[in-house]
Amino acid sequence: MSVMKTSMRNFFAHKGRMALSAIAVMLSVAFVTGTLVFTDTMGTTFDKLFAATSSDVTVSAAGGEPDEVSRTGRPDSLPASLVKEVAAVEGAKSAEGAVSSMDVTVVDRDNKNMGSSTGAPTIAGNWTKNDLRSMEITSGHAPRGPTQVMVDADTADKHGLKLGDELRTITVSGDITARIVGIASFKVTNPGAAVVFFDTATAQRGLLGATGRFTQVNVTAEAGVSDTRLKRNVSSALATLTAQTEQGAKGEQGAKGVQETAYKVRTQQETADANRSDVDEFMNVIKYGMLGFAGIAFLVGVFLIINTFSMLVAQRTREIGLMRAVGSSRGQVNRSVLVEATLLGVLGSLIGVGAGVGLAVGLMKLMSAVGMELSTRDLTVRWTTPAIGMLLGIVVTVLASYLPARRAGKVSPMAALRDAGTPADGKAGLVRGLVGLVLTGAGAFALYLAATADQAKQGSLILGVGIVLSLIGFVVIGPLLAGGVVRVLSAVLLRAFGPVGRMAERNALRNPRRTGATGAALMIGLALVACLSVVGSSMVTSATAELDKSVGADFIITAGNGGKPLNPATVKAVEGVEGLGHVTRMKETPAKVTAPDGTSESGQLLAAEATYAEDLRRETVSGDLAAAYGADAMSVGSEFAEKAGVKVGDTLTVAFEGGRTAKLRLAAITSDDTGLDKGAMYTNLTTVERHVPAERLPLDTALLAKADEGSKDQAYAALKTAVAKDPTVKVMDQTDYKQALQDQVGQLLNMVYGLLALAIVVAILGVVNTLALSVVERTREIGLMRAIGLSRRQLRRMIRLESVVIALFGALLGLGLGMGWGATAQRLLALEGLEVLDIPWPTIIGVFIGSAFVGLFAALVPAFRAGRMNVLNAIATE
Amino acid sequence: MTSAVTITRHGGTGGRTAVAARARQVVKAYGSGETRVVALDHVDVDIARGQFTAIMGPSGSGKSTLMHCLAGLDTVTSGQIYLDETEITGLKDKKLTQLRRDRIGFIFQAFNLLPTLNAIENITLPMDIAGRKPDREWLGRVVETVGLAQRLKHRPTQLSGGQQQRVAVARALAARPEIIFGDEPTGNLDSRAGAEVLGFLRRSVDELGQTIVMVTHDPVAASYADRVLYLADGRIVDEMYQPTADQVLDRMKDFDARGRTS
Repeated sequence: MSVMKTSMRNFFAHKGRMALSAIAVMLSVAFVTGTLVFTDTMGTTFDKLFAATSSDVTVSAAGGEPDEVSRTGRPDSLPASLVKEVAAVEGAKSAEGAVSSMDVTVVDRDNKNMGSSTGAPTIAGNWTKNDLRSMEITSGHAPRGPTQVMVDADTADKHGLKLGDELRTITVSGDITARIVGIASFKVTNPGAAVVFFDTATAQRGLLGATGRFTQVNVTAEAGVSDTRLKRNVSSALATLTAQTEQGAKGEQGAKGVQETAYKVRTQQETADANRSDVDEFMNVIKYGMLGFAGIAFLVGVFLIINTFSMLVAQRTREIGLMRAVGSSRGQVNRSVLVEATLLGVLGSLIGVGAGVGLAVGLMKLMSAVGMELSTRDLTVRWTTPAIGMLLGIVVTVLASYLPARRAGKVSPMAALRDAGTPADGKAGLVRGLVGLVLTGAGAFALYLAATADQAKQGSLILGVGIVLSLIGFVVIGPLLAGGVVRVLSAVLLRAFGPVGRMAERNALRNPRRTGATGAALMIGLALVACLSVVGSSMVTSATAELDKSVGADFIITAGNGGKPLNPATVKAVEGVEGLGHVTRMKETPAKVTAPDGTSESGQLLAAEATYAEDLRRETVSGDLAAAYGADAMSVGSEFAEKAGVKVGDTLTVAFEGGRTAKLRLAAITSDDTGLDKGAMYTNLTTVERHVPAERLPLDTALLAKADEGSKDQAYAALKTAVAKDPTVKVMDQTDYKQALQDQVGQLLNMVYGLLALAIVVAILGVVNTLALSVVERTREIGLMRAIGLSRRQLRRMIRLESVVIALFGALLGLGLGMGWGATAQRLLALEGLEVLDIPWPTIIGVFIGSAFVGLFAALVPAFRAGRMNVLNAIATE
Repeated sequence: MTSAVTITRHGGTGGRTAVAARARQVVKAYGSGETRVVALDHVDVDIARGQFTAIMGPSGSGKSTLMHCLAGLDTVTSGQIYLDETEITGLKDKKLTQLRRDRIGFIFQAFNLLPTLNAIENITLPMDIAGRKPDREWLGRVVETVGLAQRLKHRPTQLSGGQQQRVAVARALAARPEIIFGDEPTGNLDSRAGAEVLGFLRRSVDELGQTIVMVTHDPVAASYADRVLYLADGRIVDEMYQPTADQVLDRMKDFDARGRTS
């Protein structure tokens, strides 16, 4: 009991000194809680949406998910006759056919895309009774006839659309130009999809290319009939139907009939779950990504907490000695520190959980601003969320304080009698040096192995081990390095500041363990920044070099960042542009390739016109790539060729998905030592067209074009004009392409840097914390210096310089370590085509200089407080 | 040893008064109303130049407060304090810091030295802070006199308590301040080390012409002074010239007895 009481008293007596540690715990816990609340809320939003949009039982074609962009530009569909059959099933109250496609682009009169900019889909369909479950018409009426369209209210709001405005819906079957006659609002939160509705006939013609077909049949159950039972009934009815069709179709219809009889029947719950699993994939990336960064912040926070408790224990040495002298056991002293840590953990986590919910709300608002609607009505805080947050916060805090607590337990009763003053934490010892050296050495060795690995997968594992070992090694050895590094930094930077600089240097050096831990916290974040910036910059440089070397085409035309296939109308428009030497069409066809020895690989076969060989020059190991575009010929990558033991002239069996199986002659083997189209298998477009029926043939993935000699600029302008009607189509020349690549990498890096900012903020708090506690610890020294004539300004400068040196120490270690990691990663990724190492010196130097400012910033408050210290209190002999 | 007696830094002795510092009607009070405590009650005092003055008195008599006020470490509630001709009461912190740095030396009871600096760095610290080059010859002589020539590169933790105090004395002297204030400079030393330090302070007055004011409650320490001021309840109640330890002790017993009977 008395342990508890002393701990409580100590905790509240030093609440100021605990504040920064509590903030560090709070930030990390808030980030974890915020992430969980945010993703759970997104989950709830989607659950509600999918529950509202799915009918009791849905029948759809077995082929693809209805909510996916299809390769052919048209979703798989069912015959309309099925609606009647399903409606007649026992337990079905009604059934209706629905059309829904995501293979559309909706634009306004100015060819501006009405779709979401956040990756949410644009969906076009017919207006059905089922839609009334999730939406209601808030103005106008449902569409009737081929020139009427209804749009969802969120999209209308976002783009200022009103009744009577014209919308053009671009589909593979041509454009549907229609006026808005109605606006429908979602009754649940729609996170961002743009939705347009037509009448059934228009939707069928435009989206499926034929009347008499639907993408799905929505079945409503009779009262008292469960979804599961209805599903069973529908399934068995469909099975009977399939059997009949098969018998009747014998001999005449063949493949087509068989394909159509495979249906997918799902209850509302199953449809919602299937939709959720798509969303979950995306949400898990966000969730685990953010939790990863929260983990880094926690790690950095550990240093802060260790430092805080080490300093508190050191400052309290006499007090602890007294407690020991009057009979407290080691365990009691030890426990009293741990109890304080627990209090800190509880307090920090408690505030953190609250702040986390606030963070989630803020994140939702932010998402709304960029176009992803989330409503606070759906705010979801599961009981596990605060539990996880609290547990993490408390466990991390207590673990971090364990070492200092043990040190407190070791304080001898004699300490009470010794003269005042704070003993140093002790010199960084020999053991520490050895352990650190061994770890760093092992890390360096692993990094060396990774850099020289010849298999990327195995190498990346070693790289991971190397990174972790070298990081721990640096943390352990940090206090030892502090001596040398701080001296060098001071020699360069602080000499100019005379005695104040010298005292700052000595202060930074006097407790290497503390300086080491404070610097290490900053080191972690900056090492990651340096590593990623090296990899990112190498990526851009390598890709640019590769492009210069291999790409012969002047222009590349793609749709929707390459994720969507090209509309035939676009292909036609491009082919009609004057001044182009050639246009190469290229598609990706899913197929399974089997070698004579049985080795097979399923993947995308790249089918292109023969000019592709000029557009993308690939080195071959054997054979001539141009020959691979000959009739019934193909090429494979060297890795596959080696694995399957095939050589030029062999015959490969290629089973095209949705088509027939072909025997193709291997005409060339391309080198896999590249970053572009690594491992790709090429074949001719006409070969594929012969083996895959037209309606199953994927649309073109991209077009490559070469301008006639001297007409590059005109051709570029003409191409832009030709595709202007579809805003999703992008025409890029090589410069654009490189820029786009750079922007993409840059954006990704910025996002990662943004998330690392959390860890860096915690590290800055660590510097503030160390300085603040050091200032308290050095009260008497400061008083003495002030008494003998150190001005406030000099005193503040001294503390700022100490802070700058600590920050630069951390930055130097971090940047050095990170560049090492980055260079190793680049060596390893050279196997994947990341050939060129490019160290982004402006970024590295910028971060280094930025760290000096971080140091200045961190010293603001401690320096101010030291300056305000009363000289007399400071020198009081008490 | 007469050539270096005068302190020449402030240029000649012509205009200089015989009084190094003086206090006029100085009041120092803490709190207000019921809880008001008066630490100094209208104190007038002159500190003679080139003399060793000791301030004595029982605990709570205000002796330390008086020294702090004279040295510009503490502010007064009312009254004036002059250092030479400069009124220091009312000076802003910046000026006051400069004044302490350039014109005053300090020796505290404990914790006189910065642990991160070695002995010689500690000695020259006030001049370093001011950005002044120490006078090599003078520095050498000071170091020589305090007998630290062999230990200049030692850190304070490597020095004994007496040696540490001698470094502090050397620091106070090195900058040739107009006046040195000592706050129980021998309070933490055994009698031998204490005698060493006091002897040294005495010599610096006799041989170097230094002005020293020292707060102490040790009659033996006070006996090294030229003049002893007795404080009680914030007032100067007595003084004594050329004291011996026994005289001081008797006087103290006297005060104690009076204190108990009154």
